[in-house]
Amino acid sequence: MASNDIIIGIVGSGGDGVITAGEFIVSAVSNEGLYSFLLKSYGPQIRGGESSCRVRVSQNPVQSQGDELDALVVLSWADFIKFEHEIDIHGATAIVHDEDDPMPEEHAARWADRPTYSIPFKRLAKEEMQTVLTKNIIMLGSLIELFGLPDKGIRHAIEKKFEKKSAGVVSKNLEALDCGKNYVAENITKKDDYFLEFTQSEPKLVMEGNAAIALGATVAGCRFFAGYPITPASEVMHWMAHHLPAVGGTVVQAEDEISAAGMVVGASFGGEKAMTATSGPGFTLKSEIMGLAAMAEVPMVIVDVQRGGPSTGIPTKNEQSDLMQAVYGSHGDSPRVVIAPTDVEDCFDTAVQAFGIAEEFQIPVVLLSDQFIGQRKETVRPFDVSRRKVYDRIAPTAEELVDYKRYRLDTDTGISPMSAPGMAGGQYPAGGIEHTEVGDPTSRVDLHVDMTEKRYRKYKHIVSKYSFVRRYGDEDAEVGILGWGSTKGVIKEAVAKLRDEGHKVGAMIPQLLHPFPAEAFDDFLGGKKKLVVAELSFRGQFLQFIRSRCEIDAELHHIARVGGRPFSVRELYDALKEVV
Amino acid sequence: MAVDANKKNPSQDEKKFKVADYKRDLKPVWCTGCGDFGVLQAVYRALNEQDIEPENVGVISGIGCSSRLPGYVNAYGFNSVHGRALPIAQGLKLARPDVTVLAVGGDGDGISIGMGHFPHAARRNVDMTYIMMDNFIYGLTKGQVSPTTPKGDVTVSTPYASVDSPLDPVKLALSFNVSFIARAFAGDLKHMTQMVKQAIEHRGFSFVHAVSPCPTFRGMNEFKRVRGSVNYVEPTDDELASKAAAFAREEEFAGQINLGLLYKARRGTYDEESDAVKDRSRASRGREPSMQELLDTFRP
Repeated sequence: MASNDIIIGIVGSGGDGVITAGEFIVSAVSNEGLYSFLLKSYGPQIRGGESSCRVRVSQNPVQSQGDELDALVVLSWADFIKFEHEIDIHGATAIVHDEDDPMPEEHAARWADRPTYSIPFKRLAKEEMQTVLTKNIIMLGSLIELFGLPDKGIRHAIEKKFEKKSAGVVSKNLEALDCGKNYVAENITKKDDYFLEFTQSEPKLVMEGNAAIALGATVAGCRFFAGYPITPASEVMHWMAHHLPAVGGTVVQAEDEISAAGMVVGASFGGEKAMTATSGPGFTLKSEIMGLAAMAEVPMVIVDVQRGGPSTGIPTKNEQSDLMQAVYGSHGDSPRVVIAPTDVEDCFDTAVQAFGIAEEFQIPVVLLSDQFIGQRKETVRPFDVSRRKVYDRIAPTAEELVDYKRYRLDTDTGISPMSAPGMAGGQYPAGGIEHTEVGDPTSRVDLHVDMTEKRYRKYKHIVSKYSFVRRYGDEDAEVGILGWGSTKGVIKEAVAKLRDEGHKVGAMIPQLLHPFPAEAFDDFLGGKKKLVVAELSFRGQFLQFIRSRCEIDAELHHIARVGGRPFSVRELYDALKEVV
Repeated sequence: MAVDANKKNPSQDEKKFKVADYKRDLKPVWCTGCGDFGVLQAVYRALNEQDIEPENVGVISGIGCSSRLPGYVNAYGFNSVHGRALPIAQGLKLARPDVTVLAVGGDGDGISIGMGHFPHAARRNVDMTYIMMDNFIYGLTKGQVSPTTPKGDVTVSTPYASVDSPLDPVKLALSFNVSFIARAFAGDLKHMTQMVKQAIEHRGFSFVHAVSPCPTFRGMNEFKRVRGSVNYVEPTDDELASKAAAFAREEEFAGQINLGLLYKARRGTYDEESDAVKDRSRASRGREPSMQELLDTFRP
């Protein structure tokens, strides 16, 4: 049976090349113009140990990783067993495994009536290709034959990946691909219903959220990046290190998280657009510097790619449990902005907007992403990088530089023009200490009142200019679902499924979280009789946050669970199905 | 570069600026007799000797009595948070290599809470100057033991005498491979001005250990004590190029305070290295990419 939406899961040991195989599939299908979604999963040790990936391939745009696997490829049962509880399969899932690593008896009994294919990947690699390293490529070849993955696209991806290596490497890998293909053609009888049928279309891009943030920042004019290695955010620094110098920017790997944040403030004080990126624990370390940026009114963008916490937690997996820290994690009354991207492409747009807000309003902006969008690979249609307006900070005019007041109070928006070194007459002392209009230290209460009010005056204007939320489904539905960040994809699919069945459902995903887009929430919540709130936070940080900002009259159904596994479409569909 | 070390300093008649042009109106909060007044004067004069435009100077500090200094200089000042003068100063310098950047602060700011940044600023050899005003005590918080307080001293936080051995900022700087190290005393303005001036002229990360007594919390005799133990040194060029010689000198005159230029080396600076990185990043693509071309790097 032909299918145009297939989900394949591959499990193996760290050195098996499982993730590489998944990346080849994503590159291949994107190049053929199809859509894909690749989730990677590692053990806690990151290098070595078990690893797995799931890749969804579809003729049409995909919003999520999908639900159960249609095909499960196991290179090592010992590793599969460690992951088993994270891998959902359905009644007809095809199983592919290495002939020389027999299926455990328990599974063999349970899965007796499933389509199962035993292929000697490792033996073929050793005997036919003379190196066990080709095992994953042989496996890929067998998947081309078994499930109709695009042959040409995978060949192109292999050629591209190894183009800098010797010609022998490319031909050896292509040979291995044929070896797997031929073995299946000659020895295996197709027993399942999954075979990809597709029409080629315009080639697409493959992006991960972390790189998309880095690109967005660069397009917004960021020319200084300082970071410190941390999972799952390091890819932001990697992309910047690779590309920012080519456009004249500077990238520093700082000695610690605090220094990275401090350098960003220093660079921004110097007039440059600057950014740092981290994950939960690193964000905590940066929070003192964020207070400084708020007080001194220095623009800065801080990316937090959330992971399971607290402390080291599960660094390789997702959670939405830094929301309170992002909004409130500060000493003093410290204005800041929190925006959350909802998918890989949105990482680009929200990064441009993060700089727009930071620069125009001279305020720290937190770009609150998470591991699920940060590290997954997704097909993205090529787009015009200048589609979002880029904003610069407001500099003082020549007249304003005469008796310059850096922290002028008589401003409607709270924005006082900011000078930078090199501007004669613009010299002033910035600082973390409360100050007068010219920047002199003060402990006068009236000035503290006025200055605090000035710094918070920006909120009203940020909300009116940047109150961006995403709405899906029926505007006037009485049943609604609210989520944020990376939960968007599954929410969107669950809502679409229910609407296909004739139900009226509406969804809202706010990208601007703080300051709170109250009007958008009121508009969405008005008329709702039943509301589902879904979030990957055990204590329900998102709902707590919303409730502190607005009234919810609807009957409430709260799905708050720890992260580690993203929501499945079914999980949210079932929850909504119960209340529609 | 902001300062050309080979250029002869202009005479006072040729200058655009006077010493007073580097002063801000704000009156220092420092106690009468504080050494920091001397350091501040030296900073004004060193800037004036090179006639640097005030708008092209950045003075960055952390927290402490001495960290109030940026507020008194007509420049782009930044009185930041405790211990973080060096990250902020480096960020400024890396983003704006055209600006003359001074980081200033105390012993607690620099080698207690902010110690983690000192070796790394040195390692990068960022072309800036770090003036550490060492008063051997925490002054702003009223007299606690600092990382340079002599062992056995009684302070408000060590009422039964301190048991920690003090650190010597100069020995630390030597081991961090700082490319310019000098020590000066707030009681000798002329000498300190020369040290700060040479530090600014130095291409690379320069460090001035500015001994700046605190009569309020170390006693009225502190100035006299320090003055009595200073020892002016004038190493030869060969000795200046040797960290071993500099270290031996510090050991030999332990108990005395060696003043002068102590070590100096010319190494590649971060901005030079950074320019080379930019060239390499462009070379691999033939030219500077457009933003749309950066998007194309995501084509599989």
